[in-house]
Amino acid sequence: MTEKVKVRIDGEVIAATPGQTILEVARANNKYIPALCYMEGLSAVGACRLCMVEVSGVARLLPACTTPVQEGLAVVTSSPQLQSHRKIALELLFAERNHVCAVCVSSGHCELQALAQDHGVTHVRYPYNYPRLTVDTTHPRYVLDHNRCVLCSRCVRTCAEIEGAHVWDIAGRGIHSRLVSELQRPWGEATTCTSCGKCVQACPTGAMAEKGWGVEEMTKQPAVLSRLTSMREGQ
Amino acid sequence: MANSLVTALPHPEDQDLIDRIIGDQAGRPGALLGILEKLQDHNPHKYLPMETLEYVAARTGVPQSQVYGVATFYALFNLEPQGTHTVAICRGTACHTRGSRALLERVKLQLGLQEASDGADKLTLTTPDRHFTIRTVACFGQCALAPVVEVDHAIRGHVKEQALMREVDALRKERAR
Ligand code: SF4
Ligand code: SF4
Ligand code: FES
Ligand code: FES
Repeated sequence: MTEKVKVRIDGEVIAATPGQTILEVARANNKYIPALCYMEGLSAVGACRLCMVEVSGVARLLPACTTPVQEGLAVVTSSPQLQSHRKIALELLFAERNHVCAVCVSSGHCELQALAQDHGVTHVRYPYNYPRLTVDTTHPRYVLDHNRCVLCSRCVRTCAEIEGAHVWDIAGRGIHSRLVSELQRPWGEATTCTSCGKCVQACPTGAMAEKGWGVEEMTKQPAVLSRLTSMREGQ
Repeated sequence: MANSLVTALPHPEDQDLIDRIIGDQAGRPGALLGILEKLQDHNPHKYLPMETLEYVAARTGVPQSQVYGVATFYALFNLEPQGTHTVAICRGTACHTRGSRALLERVKLQLGLQEASDGADKLTLTTPDRHFTIRTVACFGQCALAPVVEVDHAIRGHVKEQALMREVDALRKERAR
């Protein structure tokens, strides 16, 4: 039995296991911290910056999904500063690509959209980037629409860590980053893809979808993937 | 996108070279970076052809997408053949305010090059005869000398349009000889 550490989340004292992240401890204790790039069962990368929290004694905000707990850590999960920060992060995600919910297969089931609603994002205060992006329809069963990709890399990690194929990765850098399959091959010609569809299920937005669904029709079950990993770990 | 589907293997001699370079670097942390750097250096046109990337992935066991990610993240790697002569024009703040944009436009005009509007971070343009590559740089760290241009790895400071054009012209004639 490993020693437990005592941490405080929004004032409440919680016993946590060393090595757990703030987000894991919060989730296990029904404390809400928004998250987008985090997915249970995958490695955490801290890409979206939505899970930022205040930690007493630390001047800057820390990402809950990649910060491990320590004895005596005191975390605040919600404050006007955090709300404003998260709202900005969400607005920037919208401004970066071309998110047109009205014509999206995932509208109504999209994690980005839900987070925006929760945070009262009624409009975007920044100029839109309007990048010219492609849609990869070469796979017989799935589509990838770069216009809706938030570069969370959940598909990358799912394919690499759960399916073991590692078809995807992020190419380029900064505003020019793009999801790529293999050496920029069309998805349908990717030699390592097993067509398992796990990446599609992991994708929080309408960027990846199954073919054949109309607007608002594509629902996904990332939780099934998370359960798969916990079952494998239990073996 | 410039790269097409890869099916071909690198030339057998190149395969030997790649194998040797991979062998030298094997096991080192960040080995992939070193491997790609060496390979680009050995390439006569200073770039990483797609079949080289594919071969490296197969040999090292690093997924292709990850190799591609590394090769596109670092500005030092080229995925397109580079010209014999390189003119690198600084686009940093200091050089920009001192007219580097005009220098870039002038050289582009002089060499008949047009910007492909893919909006990439760094601009790299090569003439069809592969005699010249012009590229932009974020800052040479020589801002006091702005505007700064590097011609074939030699830094030039306080560059004037006329002088730069003359220099490019001289390099162009050198080939005609
Ligand atoms: S369908 Fe499966 S193997 Fe293919 S890219 Fe998606 S997760 Fe990877
Ligand atoms: S395709 Fe979906 S899962 Fe993959 S990086 Fe983009 S938004 Fe994330
Ligand atoms: S969930 Fe922590 S940074 Fe995305
Ligand atoms: S801005 Fe050109 S050298 Fe620094």
